[in-house]
Amino acid sequence: MTISDLATLEGFKWATEKTQDWEIQDAYTGDLLSDVMGNAPSDSVLVTIQAHKNTIAVASLAGIHALVICNNRSVPDDMKEAAQEEEIAIFTTKDTQFQASCKIAKALGRLDENRN
Amino acid sequence: MRIAIDLHNHSCLSPCASDDLSPALLAVEAMEQGINILALTDHNSSRNLPAFKEACELCDILPLFGLEITTNEEVHILTLFPKLEDALAFGTFVEFLLPKRKNDKRLFGNQLVVNVEGEVLQEIDAMLSAATSLSFSDVVEEALSRDALVIPAHIDRYANSVLSNLGFLPNLAYSAVEAIHLPVQADTKDWAIVTGSDAHSLEQVGRRACYIEMEDLSYENLKEALQNKNNVSYQQ
Repeated sequence: MTISDLATLEGFKWATEKTQDWEIQDAYTGDLLSDVMGNAPSDSVLVTIQAHKNTIAVASLAGIHALVICNNRSVPDDMKEAAQEEEIAIFTTKDTQFQASCKIAKALGRLDENRN
Repeated sequence: MRIAIDLHNHSCLSPCASDDLSPALLAVEAMEQGINILALTDHNSSRNLPAFKEACELCDILPLFGLEITTNEEVHILTLFPKLEDALAFGTFVEFLLPKRKNDKRLFGNQLVVNVEGEVLQEIDAMLSAATSLSFSDVVEEALSRDALVIPAHIDRYANSVLSNLGFLPNLAYSAVEAIHLPVQADTKDWAIVTGSDAHSLEQVGRRACYIEMEDLSYENLKEALQNKNNVSYQQ
């Protein structure tokens, strides 16, 4: 899927201006930036509540193209500016990290991947 | 006597702080604002503390030699030493426990070691914005055993605070806790609550200093005064 597919998921709202329509191949869910930095796959979307400017720096290092900020947390202006510079899309949602991750898994066609 | 203290400040060594904020500029600005006890607390490094010491001597400020440690839970804690050499030794220990990653200057910012004149002596490669491998309780225990003041930083902040990341304040022997907004919406028991400027640029120096009633200007008296939270008062 692409960034614009993410934007169509129910309850996901743009917090930045539209970015390039990056291809999204994977996703990662986590709030601890050291963990995200070490383990998040590239070309992915990050589901998190960590609405901090550093999240953008870590996302950029990890090759993350989009963030979904959960639980209706607000996105500070300096974070939006950094995202704009790094061409990273930010969405906000009222969803919990679990709910947002489920929607993304479905959109990526990954819901069945762990079934035997 | 009523002493103005500001126990949380950064310099150009912290990647997120302004390159212009040298330890000397911090000390001079604090002096102009009437701060009596000032701490420099860069992220996970003590390398600008020698210049800070010289600057505070010139400004007649009592310095505390600090670090703001990032624990493995990504909680920030201030550790403040009365002696430069103890802070430098702790800084070496802490830098060793950072991940073996290099700082990306473009993304995180410069990490400049400067002298008292503000001349750049060195740029630090280690990623000072990263988390150390020390746990929250490790830091508290280790720093207390080295006779530092230990103060969980900005406990009411939405990120990198003990309340945001651990949910509540573990019952440990903190010297005080630091908050941004008062009153704090959490159980802070009998710990003294201090406010600190957390200055990352010159105009932020002194913005959240606070006051403490103590006998006369010394580290020992500060430590003792912090044992009673009623000794602390705040800016209007």
